[in-house]
Parts: sequence; C-alpha cells; structure tokens
Amino acid sequence: MVIVKRKELSFWERLYLPEVVRGLSVTMRAIFRRKITRQYPEEPLATNEVTRGQPRLAVNEDDTIRCVSCGLCEIACPAYAITIDGQETDRFIEREPERFDIDMLRCILCGFCEEACPKDAIFMSEELELADFSREALVYDIEKLKRPISALQRRSDYVYKLNDRWHSSSSTS
Amino acid sequence: MPVEAVTLADTTTKELPLLVLWLFKAGLIYGGLLGTAALMTLAERKVSAWIQYRIGPNRVGPWGLLQPLADGVKFIFKEEVVPDGANPLMFRLAPILSAVPAMLAIAVIPFAGEVKIGDWSFGTLSIANLDISVLYVGALTGLSVYGVILGGWSSNSKYSLLGGLRASAQMISYELTLLLAVLSVVLMNGSLDLRAIAADQASTGMWNAIVQPVAFVLFVIAMFAETNRHPFDFAECEPELVGGFHTEYSSMKFALFFLGEYCAMVVMACLATTFFLGGGALPFIAELAWYVELPVFCAKASSFLFLFLWVRWTLPRFRYDQLMTLGWQVMLPLALVNLFVTGAVVALGWHPLLMPLLAIAVLVPFALLFGRPRPRSESLTHEGAAG
Amino acid sequence: MTTIQINGKDVEVDPKQPLIHALHTNGCDVPMYCYHPGLSPVGSCRICQVEVQQGEGPSRVVVSCRTPVADGMRVFPDSEKAHDVRRECLEFLLKNHPLDCPICDKAGECDLQDYSFAEGQGEGRSVEPRRKLEKRKSLGDVIVLDEERCILCSRCVRFMEEVPKTPQLTVADLGARSVIATFMDRPLTGKYQGNLADVCPVGALTLSAFRFQARVWNLTKTTGTCGECSRGCSVTTEVLRGGELKRFRPRYNADVNTWWMCDVGRFAIEEHSLEGRLVGALVRGSRELEPADPFDAIDRAADVFTAPGHPVVIASPWLTVEEGERLRDLAEALGSEVHFLSPPANDLADDLLHTGDPCPNRRGLEGLGFSPIDAEAALELLSGATSALICGERIGALLGEGLGELPEKLRLVVLDTMPLDVPAVRAELGVPSSIERTGTWINVDGHAGKLGIARSAPPGVAPLVQTLDDLVARLSTTATAGGER
Ligand code: SF4
Ligand code: SF4
Ligand code: SF4
Ligand code: FES
Repeated sequence: MVIVKRKELSFWERLYLPEVVRGLSVTMRAIFRRKITRQYPEEPLATNEVTRGQPRLAVNEDDTIRCVSCGLCEIACPAYAITIDGQETDRFIEREPERFDIDMLRCILCGFCEEACPKDAIFMSEELELADFSREALVYDIEKLKRPISALQRRSDYVYKLNDRWHSSSSTS
Repeated sequence: MPVEAVTLADTTTKELPLLVLWLFKAGLIYGGLLGTAALMTLAERKVSAWIQYRIGPNRVGPWGLLQPLADGVKFIFKEEVVPDGANPLMFRLAPILSAVPAMLAIAVIPFAGEVKIGDWSFGTLSIANLDISVLYVGALTGLSVYGVILGGWSSNSKYSLLGGLRASAQMISYELTLLLAVLSVVLMNGSLDLRAIAADQASTGMWNAIVQPVAFVLFVIAMFAETNRHPFDFAECEPELVGGFHTEYSSMKFALFFLGEYCAMVVMACLATTFFLGGGALPFIAELAWYVELPVFCAKASSFLFLFLWVRWTLPRFRYDQLMTLGWQVMLPLALVNLFVTGAVVALGWHPLLMPLLAIAVLVPFALLFGRPRPRSESLTHEGAAG
Repeated sequence: MTTIQINGKDVEVDPKQPLIHALHTNGCDVPMYCYHPGLSPVGSCRICQVEVQQGEGPSRVVVSCRTPVADGMRVFPDSEKAHDVRRECLEFLLKNHPLDCPICDKAGECDLQDYSFAEGQGEGRSVEPRRKLEKRKSLGDVIVLDEERCILCSRCVRFMEEVPKTPQLTVADLGARSVIATFMDRPLTGKYQGNLADVCPVGALTLSAFRFQARVWNLTKTTGTCGECSRGCSVTTEVLRGGELKRFRPRYNADVNTWWMCDVGRFAIEEHSLEGRLVGALVRGSRELEPADPFDAIDRAADVFTAPGHPVVIASPWLTVEEGERLRDLAEALGSEVHFLSPPANDLADDLLHTGDPCPNRRGLEGLGFSPIDAEAALELLSGATSALICGERIGALLGEGLGELPEKLRLVVLDTMPLDVPAVRAELGVPSSIERTGTWINVDGHAGKLGIARSAPPGVAPLVQTLDDLVARLSTTATAGGER
C-alpha cells in the first residue's frame, strides 16, 4: 500500500478564489490560441508512405493478381479479418485466390498482412474511409480489394526500403 | 406609483393603451430572452471549442449561427419516451415547471429607463413595474427547484432521483446566500424595486460591485449554484448520474429543461447586472438615453453570460460534501456578517465607501479562521483507534 | 536391451531398432527425411547425422538411421559438430529446392520447412540458377509430382516396394538430373497411393484431391476412425473452418493400420458432405413431409410405436456400440428383434488393410445381439410390417430404391443423415455422421476404434444416443399414462 501524501495547500490556494482566477486566465489564454481543428471532408487527412490505410491486393500491370493465396496473411492477422480459399491457375504461380475476403470491420489496420506476405501482394493503401449501410457490404471481396500496383507504389517502395534496411542490418550482424 | 406616473405625465407625450404596450414589450423581451437562450446553446459549444483549441459548430449557417435552429428541429423530431413506471402527469409537468419560473422572472428586469421616441412615451423598458420586484424574483428562483426535483422523482429512475435530490438540497442552501447577498444590496440602496436599485447606483455612481464586494462575490458564486451550472451542476453530473434529473427525458421535454437552464442563466445575468453593475449605467455619466442604456445593459449581462461559460469549461465539479461545506460553513456566515456590517454602516450613516474597507477588515480574520488546516486526519486516527 | 549414452546420459534402448529410433524415443529431435519407421532405412538424405564415440577412439559423425545401436555407444546428437554437418546437408538439400512454400500444400507440416526454419540460413550462397524441372506432373489420379521440390529421399520408392509390394516408382536418371518417375510415365495404380503424399517428407508428392484445398494450419484435426471397411483404420479427421471435411490421414496405430490407410477410406470425403443433409426433423403432414421441431418428431415416432404390434428395427452398420445398446434396449421394450443392415462383401479386399466388408462395426453389433440382414431381406421384412424404425447413418441409401415401394400402411420412422422422402415415412430425425459424434466401433480383429467430433452436427441434429434416449423416455411416459387410463 502506498500512502500518497497530499500537497499542503498554501493560504492563497486555500482561499480558492485566487486559484479560480488563475484557472480562468489559463482558459482565457487558450481561447486565443491557434485552433487545431481539421475540417475533415474538405480537408482530408494528409497521408504519406507511413500511413497504414486499409489493406489492398496488388494487381500487376498485366491485370493478374499477385496473391498466391498462401494464407500467411490470414494466419498473421490478429483480428481474424482475412479469409482465403485458393484455386489452381495456369499461370506460373500455380495458385491464386478463389476467395479473398477482408472483413474491414475487423481489420485493425495493423499491417501484419503486409509484413507477412511473401509475394508483395498485399499493401496498406492510403484509403482510410470506410462507410456503408450494412456489415456485409464491408466484408470486401477480391474485386473490391484489387488495386493496380501503381496505386500502391509509394507504400510498396517504402516497404522494400524497410526490408532492405532490415536485410543489411541482419546480415552484417 | 404607476398611477402617479400616468397623472404626472407630460401632456405633450402620447401613450399607447396599456394592454397594447404590455403585449408589445412582452413580445420584444421574451423574443430577446428566448433568442438569447438559443444563442447560448451555440455559445456554449463555441466557447468550449475555443477553450479546447477547436473551432466548434460551423456547418449550419455562417459561423454555425443556425445551429440552434437545427438543434431545435432535431429535438422536435426525436421520439418522446415516457419511461415505464413514470408518473405521467408529473413527468410532463416537470419540464414546464423548470422553464416557466425562469422565464417569468425576466418580466421585472429594467433593461433601460424611460423609452421615448418622438412624442411617444413607452414607459420603462421592462414588462412589469413592480415595487417589490426583488421579492418577486426571490420567489420565482425558489420555484425553479420544483422542476428539477419533480423531473427527478417522476422519472422512476435512481439516477434521476439522486440528481433531483441533490439539486434541491443545493438550491435551497445557496438560495439563502443569494438572497442574503441581495438583502445587503437592498439595504444599501434602500428599495425592493429593481428599477430603484439600478437608478440609485446610476445616480450616486457607486455600483454595488464596488461598495459591496463581498455580496457581489457571494452573489456570483450562488448564482452558479442556483442555475445548476458548473462547478455546481450536481443535478446533472454526467459522469456520476448519467445526466441526473433529465436522464429519462428526450425530445422537446429535454429541450424545455435546457431552455429553462439557459433562461435562468440569462435572468441571473440580468439580475447581477441590475444589482451590482448599476443596470444600464455608465460610470461618471449621470443621465443616459434609453438607446444607450439598453446596449450597455446587454453588454454587461453578456459578460456575465460569458462568465458562466468560461467558468464551466475551466473548473472541475465540486464534491457534494465540499459543496455543502462551502454553502453552509463559508458562504452563509459570510453573507450574514456582510449583512450585519451593511446594516451597521447604513444605520450609522457612514459613507458607503467604508464598506469595502470594512469588508476587508472582516474578511481577513474570517479567511484566517477558515484557512487554518483542520485537524481532520487526527480525528480520523482517533476514531480508528476507538473503533 | 542395449545400454547407450545419449548426451552423457545412460539409456536402455531396443537393439533391433536403428540409433535414430533410440534418439527419438529419448527426446532428441534429430531430423530425418529418408528414414521412415515403417520403411527400411537407406541413409540417403544424411540429415540425421549425429556424433558418436565408441570406446576410446575419436568420435565420428554417422547417419543415425543406418547405425545399429551398440553397448557403450556414446551419442552426441546436439554437439556442435553434428549440427554443423546437418546444416551443411540442409544447405545441399535446399540448393535446388524451389522457394515454393507459399504455394506448397505441404507447407505447415513439411519436415524440410521445419528444419530450415529452425537451423537453415536465411539466404542461399549459391549463385547458379536452381534446377528447372517439371512442377505439375500427374502420376495418375491420386498423386501430383513436383520434381523441383523432391529431395530424392526415396521414401516413396521404398513404400511402393515394401508396403503394397507393387513397385512402380523409381529414381530415374543420374546425378543432378535424378527425378522420381514411373516406368514410361505410366500412371500409378493401386489402393495405397494416397500414402505417398504422407510419406513424402516434402511437398513433392501431393494429393490431387487435396491440391490447393486448404492451408494445413487452418485445418482442425481430430482423432477418429475410418468407417469404410471393418478394418477401422485410425485416422485424423481434418476439417476446414469447422465445416467442410478436407482430408483423412492415417494415424499410427500399431494394432490396426500402423502408418497407412487405403485410398477408399482416405477419399471417403463426399460421404461426409454437409450438402443435402437432414437438418432438424421432418414429420408427415396431411400430405407431405414437413419440417418440424425434433421434439414433435419424437412424439410422432412414439405414437407410431405405441400402436399394437412389434415394429421392425433395422440399424445401419455404422451404428456405434453405444448407440447399438440404446437401440437394443428400445427394441426390447417394444418386443422387437434387432437387425443391422449388412451389405455383401465388396471386391476391394486385399491382404494389407482393406477387408472388403463395408460394416465398420460388425463385431460390435453382432456382440450386442443384432443379426445381419441384407437389403433385400430387410425390405421384405419391412413390407410385411405395420411399423418400423430404420436407424443410423446412410441407412436410407443402403436400403436403396426399394424403400419407395413399401406399402403406405407401413408406418416408418427414420433416423438418418440424409432426408428420405418415401410414402411410408411418418417421422424423420437427423443424425450426426461418423465425424460428428463420439462412440466406439469394434473392428474385424476386435480392436475398439473411437470416433471423435471433428465438427458439430448440422443445426437441430442431436446425437443419436440422445435421440434414442428421448424416444425411450417418451415411450415410457405414454406407457404409464396409458396404464393409468
Ligand atoms: S491490417 Fe492487420 S488486421 Fe487488417 S487485415 Fe491486415 S493483418 Fe488483419
Ligand atoms: S500473404 Fe500475400 S500471397 Fe499469401 S495469401 Fe496473403 S496476400 Fe496472398
Ligand atoms: S516441400 Fe516444404 S520446403 Fe519445399 S516448398 Fe513445400 S513446404 Fe516449402
Ligand atoms: S534420415 Fe537418415 S539419412 Fe535420411
């Protein structure tokens, strides 16, 4: 048990009124300070490459999806937001997702999926807005998740940079 | 007196029939009151925003000026819920009881002196010219507690009941102080008529805020408690009582409670202006035309209104026992002593400016007495050992 | 018993087993790829090397799977040297191994993956390109071969030679070009091909039926017993996300099936499909079968059985011993005999596992006093009766078309996995399939096989034991009520 000793109040403090006046002066000064409100819809949140928006699936230039439905993001996801079923494809990568759902209501934008993906197929986009009229509509399927890789360029460059850094530091050590 | 005034009136001035005059003034003043109350809801949010580095409502109309309108529309369209087990009559009566007394009190506030436009005279700028308006105001402030306690009791909810109980205890306690402070003013200016009190201050140029500093401070503090405002908003107490007496209220009934609260604030601001700041008077200028007096009065009242908001967003809420201690052990004795000193000064015919000096002379020993640390912890250990 | 020293600790080991067995049974997790306890050791992958010292001589590194144990042997499986050697072996094995894990069905239960993760290096040192080989080579209907992934451990070759004794696979070509192949690329044949996917320590041989069906870590694995023949192989039932059954895999059971199971049981997946299952209960309305509350269906069944006469009771061969007991008691109370449907032996029998008898619990049911009866005789019995109870998984399907021709005066109560819409039916209740319930089957040799709940039964389907208990309780209350009246 800890006994917290209260600060002894001085005479003026005990009178209370002077302290009230002091408090009022603090708030009065605050009134004239610069306001930090952001007028949201007109003034959208600035994003940069560090922004972790909603995860999106990268689509190559030739319109093929990068994901091979390996399920690593599914298992890495701490919120169990991802559900994947695979299927065979004739492409070189042999397998692609048949179903790739992310429940955006569950997603906590942690970026673990991006980190887990061995195929650079999922990236945290800049998209932050999420609104709809039903829960079902917010479970994004593969069509809603597809984004051309160009739209994810900034983030993917950043991720590669991070990986390189990790790479060099781990191999030198 | 009114009768006299009519007979003595200058024959060249023309007057409207009394009924028309009243209706006209009532419309004007109540319009102003309700408008101010509505604007206060906006002001409350704006001021809170500013104090918290925010902008506040700015979506509806320019600078959010139409926000109260939008709120009103919202309130009208909200579902009205009467909880199971509520006393239906009292439940519906309570919001009315809370709003009406506050509004009635505005009737006797003298906003400005005689209004004359050309040949026409409209009398003073107040709805009713009551000789005993101070008593009238006192009676009405006493009534306003009914709305709160009835609302709390009839909702059939623990939180509401607790809120209502607290509010009634608090209002009764602080009403004493409030009225004692007013009594000092009445003694000082020798009248129960608000017009006369204002006029007296204006003519001598010695506002009661200067000659009655103790009463002024006590009045301001008690007025916060009377209107259930922070730091004395024990009736509502969101974190403790989930809204207190109005937990169960929705829609227009809820809006009425709020209207009552804001009207009470406006009335209190006007009263404070009249009692302590000389109404529409300006220092060192004896006679003012009504069109100067009215804005001056409004400006003074507005500063009190701003004080309400400012304090709300500055001070944390008291604890209930602190509230009661402050009310009964500090403010009430102070008010009594002040009343006694005032009486003595008036009876002995001393110069009123002696009052502040005397006040300080009385206050300092009092503060020392109150400010002494009380041996609370000691008595606690004592009890503990005994137990 | 032979005494050897592992990491300085004396242990008693079986002299007939190789050193690796001694290590594994004493808690040393030495990796192995080519060694399989059910196959003869060859020592080709060399990942199992450990340091061994005998007598006063210098220590040597030996492959533990090909080294017999000897008294006084001192083994250091975790020594620096052993680890180094194993790591080098691993690097060699990975030299040409593709970076396939994301699309490899073995990932998650792959020995190579596990050991690379534990000890492998993060990056290859080799600058040459990896071997390019065929990646989707079909070896018949069951198995797909990915030549790139193969580490040439030859487990599959030995399996084919030693277990079903139909050698069909071999290591073809030489050196770096070696691949696993069949003669002239002919498809594999036989009833035990599925085991190839299990013995392959990597993802080179995979089941075409399971190809890309699920990631193995998403499968819920429950122990169970295969119900496709009276051998009752111990299996692991693997279910995806609590619903679809994705695979059966053999579970080691020294008494019954050792490490293997046949393809008939392994691919009996459809039998447990959730599609078309009888959910809840059906009762005969004025005309049609209508969905009903299970309690109402039990009431209706009780009404059928309280009428005078002895109902015919025919059980499914998939009934467990526990369910059989309940059913027998019920039949006794009704004064009926109990039969179980016993289809004729099929031609799948072989001298390894499959018995050709499709009744997994024949011994159990016969022991309880059920008499076997074939579908024809059963239908005859039914058409002569006024009331009947047919009970258990797949019973409707086993009785077949003939059910539709049963006279309408027969009042039939059905407890089955699938709905049965024939005129005779009065009430019908769903039962769980054999991967949705617990219980015991007695196999052909008298070994008990336990069923396990791999997923919950469809909504409204209670365990058969409970349904029978409810029925008994309902019957006894009617009986007492009738007595009082
Ligand atoms: S960002 Fe995190 S929570 Fe969202 S899908 Fe990816 S892993 Fe799951
Ligand atoms: S981790 Fe990447 S490749 Fe694997 S399933 Fe997720 S998005 Fe697809
Ligand atoms: S065989 Fe194993 S190591 Fe090779 S790709 Fe498959 S999972 Fe990965
Ligand atoms: S397991 Fe011993 S050499 Fe392969």
